[in-house]
Amino acid sequence: MQKKSGSLPSTISLCLSLLLIACSFGACRRSAAPDGKSLTLAVNSGVEGDALKQAARDYETQTGVRVNIAEFPYANLFEKELIDLGAGSGAYDLIMLDDPWFPRFAERELLADLTPMFNRRNLAGPDDDFLRSSLALCRQPYETGALYALPYVGNSQLFFYRKDLLENHGLKEPVTWDDALAAARTISERESAGAPGGRQVYGYVMRAAQGNAVVADFMPIFWAFGAEMFDAEGRPTVNSAEAVAALRFMLDLGKYAPPGYVSFNADEVSAHLLQGTAAMSINWPAWISAFDDPERSRVIGKMAFTTMPAAKNPGRAEIGNWLIAIPRGSKNADAAFDFLVWATSREQMKQSALRVNPPTRRSLFEDPELLARFPAYPAQLRSLETSKPRPRTPLWNEIENTFGIFLSKANSGELSPEVAMNQANVEIEKIIARNRR
Amino acid sequence: MNADSDKPGSEMRLAQPSRARAAIRRERGLPYLLVAPAVAVLLALSIYPLVYLVKVAFQTGSGDAVRWTFANFERLASDGFFLTALWHTLVYAATALTFEFLLGLGLALLLDRSIRGRAVFRAILLIPMMLPSVVVGVVWRLMLNPTSGAINGTLQGAGMNTDRLTWTASTALALPSVIAVDVWQWTPFMFLVLLAGLQAIPQEPYEAALIDGSSAWQTFRHVTLPLLRPAILIALLLRTMDLFRVFDQIFILTQGGPGNATETVSLYVYRTAFRFSDFGYAAAMSFVLLAMTNVVSLIYIRLLQRQEPA
Repeated sequence: MQKKSGSLPSTISLCLSLLLIACSFGACRRSAAPDGKSLTLAVNSGVEGDALKQAARDYETQTGVRVNIAEFPYANLFEKELIDLGAGSGAYDLIMLDDPWFPRFAERELLADLTPMFNRRNLAGPDDDFLRSSLALCRQPYETGALYALPYVGNSQLFFYRKDLLENHGLKEPVTWDDALAAARTISERESAGAPGGRQVYGYVMRAAQGNAVVADFMPIFWAFGAEMFDAEGRPTVNSAEAVAALRFMLDLGKYAPPGYVSFNADEVSAHLLQGTAAMSINWPAWISAFDDPERSRVIGKMAFTTMPAAKNPGRAEIGNWLIAIPRGSKNADAAFDFLVWATSREQMKQSALRVNPPTRRSLFEDPELLARFPAYPAQLRSLETSKPRPRTPLWNEIENTFGIFLSKANSGELSPEVAMNQANVEIEKIIARNRR
Repeated sequence: MNADSDKPGSEMRLAQPSRARAAIRRERGLPYLLVAPAVAVLLALSIYPLVYLVKVAFQTGSGDAVRWTFANFERLASDGFFLTALWHTLVYAATALTFEFLLGLGLALLLDRSIRGRAVFRAILLIPMMLPSVVVGVVWRLMLNPTSGAINGTLQGAGMNTDRLTWTASTALALPSVIAVDVWQWTPFMFLVLLAGLQAIPQEPYEAALIDGSSAWQTFRHVTLPLLRPAILIALLLRTMDLFRVFDQIFILTQGGPGNATETVSLYVYRTAFRFSDFGYAAAMSFVLLAMTNVVSLIYIRLLQRQEPA
């Protein structure tokens, strides 16, 4: 009896380890059906990926084509896709990608050109309903080159502000960055701990953690001040007079931001906005719905969303679209293309929009049913149409990281704006030179 | 033995030694057979990746454009980010190790005597070590939040102005903050190993010291410390190896920021490999970190093996 009870767990563990070994040798992997009626889709875990996953289930019931989903967190998705596509293993028939990754994939010719596939179906290309700024991201070179993807989720930054606070203090919606700074100063001073209401509200809040966060929140200021990352020859120009002025302006805004904003990421910024302790910010549309959630928000109905303030140049938001592409190594490219066209069609994208993903089609931003649910759509559409992409270079991850480190150093007071921008320029030059060799 | 070979029954007798020899041979082979699986696993999981790491460290480019080169190692010497990260790693390891050792030793000495509630204290002291580093990172991140965190809240309650105490957001305070979190989490480990060491020391030397009339300090210096030496070195060795490769708490707490004020080599390696896809350079940095860890570990092991001079 005792012997038996002792051997049962070991038998189980033996079976489990055998199963594990079998799995690692690929026995558990679902193989593609020989007739090509099976697709494998790499998606990110998040609302964008969830919408596409749901669409894949619908596609299975409608067409009988099996769609396998490989889901990865945002931080790993790029790496998985790059390794797999680089090796040409053809594990994925469709991949979701964040638009800043696109140049890296397209430059190494890892994606299938979609135009011949459109032509085979007697179509010239994607229809005119797609927003120009979204479709431009799917071409290499930007806007003019061959088409390697279709846009699925149309994010671009918005300017978030507390309309109640601005009204209370006789302020208007900020049209320029100077308006925003003046409003931030007024609110910070009047809504301080000693003022009626007794709670400190900070005039402005931003993400200034090194890396992607600080760069994303800085770019709209940088561009509005007339600065550019690169000149026409591709040399970095982040130490131009305009760029330094933009950084100096960011530090001015920082004076009205909560202490420690230098380490803020999306979580901290959103917490301040949701708790009503900050009045203005740049943020992404994904956060809009949270402000109407009574469990999380103390500012229900008090937030307004608009396009980026201007300075010397008109205000422009950073665009951040999710794209879907077909890897060049896919063995089911035709079936994948059918799915791609179906998933980005007006009807299907509306389903995705109802699952809170901003669309990339103009008609959907004007759709009455969606407008009723998403009142910020007009501002989102204006923001998307005037948005600007991150510089289209395959080295963007590394350049953005380096740029972000120096922006963070300036915000923390470690370096002056001039020194920070000069050093950033030198380091970005190094990255470019190193990769030219 | 051969003299008996022509006698009847010699076949029997001959067969016996040969069988015995076979048995001995089998027995000699048995240990090798028994360690073979472990060696195979070690080869697959440890040696192969190491060889691969070295190979990748001497390569640049990818796919068809791979070149053999020293470029990755040359770049190390002129890369300000790497040198800063290396410096942070050394400062982090040295500071955390010192505090963890002194606090751990103090706690171990305190709890090595029979005081009331000793078991409870011991259990409570071990809690931080049992928490996953990620949880520790998140908890401390919340506590260190400059406006809503418990630490600044307490200080404000005591009437302090905390506007400049932004902890992980301040260039000056960020590294000390992440080190403090490490000390909080890993002092219990030092305590545990040193307490075990203390309790393994026999009573007789203490009795002898008592009879000789030595002071408490003399007893500690000349009886406790020498006898605790193996435990101390093992605790320091294990912690040093861990500290050199520290990643998780810093990743959660600051991601290496502000700027690169808390970036250690492990974080920079992670970024280089998985964000910039530059595996060659990441491998070269890992190799340096590995070499550094090995050298320090060897020093500890030498010290451990050396006999304490009488």
